Amino acid sequence: MSDPKQEFYVGYLPQAPHGLGRFLKAGILMLLLGTVVAAAILSMAQSPYSKAKFEFGVSSILEGRIEELPFPTLMVPREGGGDSRYLLTVFGKKGADEAVAGFAGKRVRVRGTLIYHDQLTMVELGPAAIEVLAPATAEPDASDGTVAGGGAWTQTGAGVERSLIGEIVDSKCYLGVMKPGNLKTHRACATRCISGGVPPVLMVRDEHGLATYFLLTSSSGGSVGRQIVDRGLVAEPVRISGEVVRFGDLLVLKADPETYQRLD
Amino acid sequence: MGHAYQAVGWNRQKKIYDGVLLGAILLYLGGFLGLGFATHPDATFETMLIRALGTGALLLLHVILSIGPLCRLDRRFLPLLYNRRHLGVAMFILALGHGTLSTIQFHAFGDLHPLVSLLVSNTRFDNLAQFPFQPLGFFALIILALMATTSHDFWLSILSAPVWKALHMLVYVAYALIVMHVVLGVLQTETSLWLSGALGAGVLWVFGLHIVAGRREVRVDLTPAGVEANSYVDVCALQDIPEKRAKVVSIDGERVAVFRYDGRVSALSNPCQHQNGPLGEGCIRDGLVTCPWHGYQYRPDSGASPEPFTEKVPTFKVKVEEGRVLVQSNPQPAGTRVEPATFNAEEIDV
Repeated sequence: MSDPKQEFYVGYLPQAPHGLGRFLKAGILMLLLGTVVAAAILSMAQSPYSKAKFEFGVSSILEGRIEELPFPTLMVPREGGGDSRYLLTVFGKKGADEAVAGFAGKRVRVRGTLIYHDQLTMVELGPAAIEVLAPATAEPDASDGTVAGGGAWTQTGAGVERSLIGEIVDSKCYLGVMKPGNLKTHRACATRCISGGVPPVLMVRDEHGLATYFLLTSSSGGSVGRQIVDRGLVAEPVRISGEVVRFGDLLVLKADPETYQRLD
Repeated sequence: MGHAYQAVGWNRQKKIYDGVLLGAILLYLGGFLGLGFATHPDATFETMLIRALGTGALLLLHVILSIGPLCRLDRRFLPLLYNRRHLGVAMFILALGHGTLSTIQFHAFGDLHPLVSLLVSNTRFDNLAQFPFQPLGFFALIILALMATTSHDFWLSILSAPVWKALHMLVYVAYALIVMHVVLGVLQTETSLWLSGALGAGVLWVFGLHIVAGRREVRVDLTPAGVEANSYVDVCALQDIPEKRAKVVSIDGERVAVFRYDGRVSALSNPCQHQNGPLGEGCIRDGLVTCPWHGYQYRPDSGASPEPFTEKVPTFKVKVEEGRVLVQSNPQPAGTRVEPATFNAEEIDV
């Protein structure tokens, strides 16, 4: 039998030397086995993915009232009374401010894709997704469908001063559009989303790992996205002290963004 | 060899090589996605695909970087080297898929151009743990693109072997950038020891292999420098050179391949003109010195490739005295015919 170490391989010849050919066949089998082992290790060793859900490709129809301040939302009446507040967004790394312009306070039917995680739900609106409905007969209304109460959120109870430590994420990706939707690997995307108007959220985990979400606004209820981006505070541990205010299902943390503290 | 160029000069072995390569890539991607979704049902397809492509490219890069030193240590691996450029292009395609999907995923549809966003969306250059990792991958991808697009022999002839080789040595810069891209990126959020251990083992493997092979190479060069001009240097005994093979020696810092064949001895400059392959690790085939890397051939007495090919390497004058081989220290211009030294069979046993 020929010694493959002494055989000479020339790639443009039709056949490899016999001994070398046997060595190569064994090597190919090892390579394919190694490929499967590597695929198994690297895919199975990933951390668990979030349970967050983005119903990509599924269109849902909801009816309710648009409120746009501080962030565009849809107030959907619950059967047992009260409303569920759905945050609104549009395709891409953008907020829904333009999409809801002119609809504030109106009863509408919206078509969009649901995004949800824990206690928060968002709707990604498609093009021309908002249709104004006639006001319900029981509601005092204007002739153009505007419902009493206008387009601003209504505070539930008094605010409380809190100092919270957490991570600033963009609500759209974290709620399920991307996984992972937080931490360093997602920082650039979250930065672009917040810069584009997607509501920023402070995610605070308790000692059991349970998350509570606080939408971030300035002390006067204005947008803080620009300042968060300019200060590079996304996807890092931060401390924010301010007034926590409840708006139905949602919590808002009002604080001057200049007072946000990075915790290195 | 450099006569006329075509995209790929297909032959049976090249088809087998690429078939195995394609099969292994599909097996890896299919395995990663299949097992990944089976064990992580909540995963999103984009993330899983980005990770499959990225890890596949990095694994393939480890294979590519291992081939050179493995061939130095065991010539049975030389068939892997023959079409190594195909591995490089395949690896670049995987990396390009990873980079393109990541750029779309993380940077597109926003308020900045995706490539601008890639460079400015994380500006924490002041903190190692928070250091931007995506630009590292982007710059590595540019190097890989440069290498993939110039991988063909057409570019080798345009750029010349030394320039082409220097350009392609940038693969080590790309490798360093990619390792940092992974360490400062996904390993900041993925905490499994399997993942960090796999990368650490890969880096150690590549470094270790290069060090072991490098030490062997250095030994060849451990010969005294400062040889007198035009003097003959005693390089070895005749029996140190197997028939139709060569011994690589170093004369005043230059590697020379000394071939013995059919009762004659000839000496050529060791680097092949194609890709600086080691001619001295080749053999005499059909009367021609044949490079072990890609089969480029040269006449042993003149260092010139047979017609119609045009490659030439420098030659050296050679003498055989009492069973010892002596090589003149000064090379002759590339392609210069030098009369081979002859010897009697009994001199081998002196």
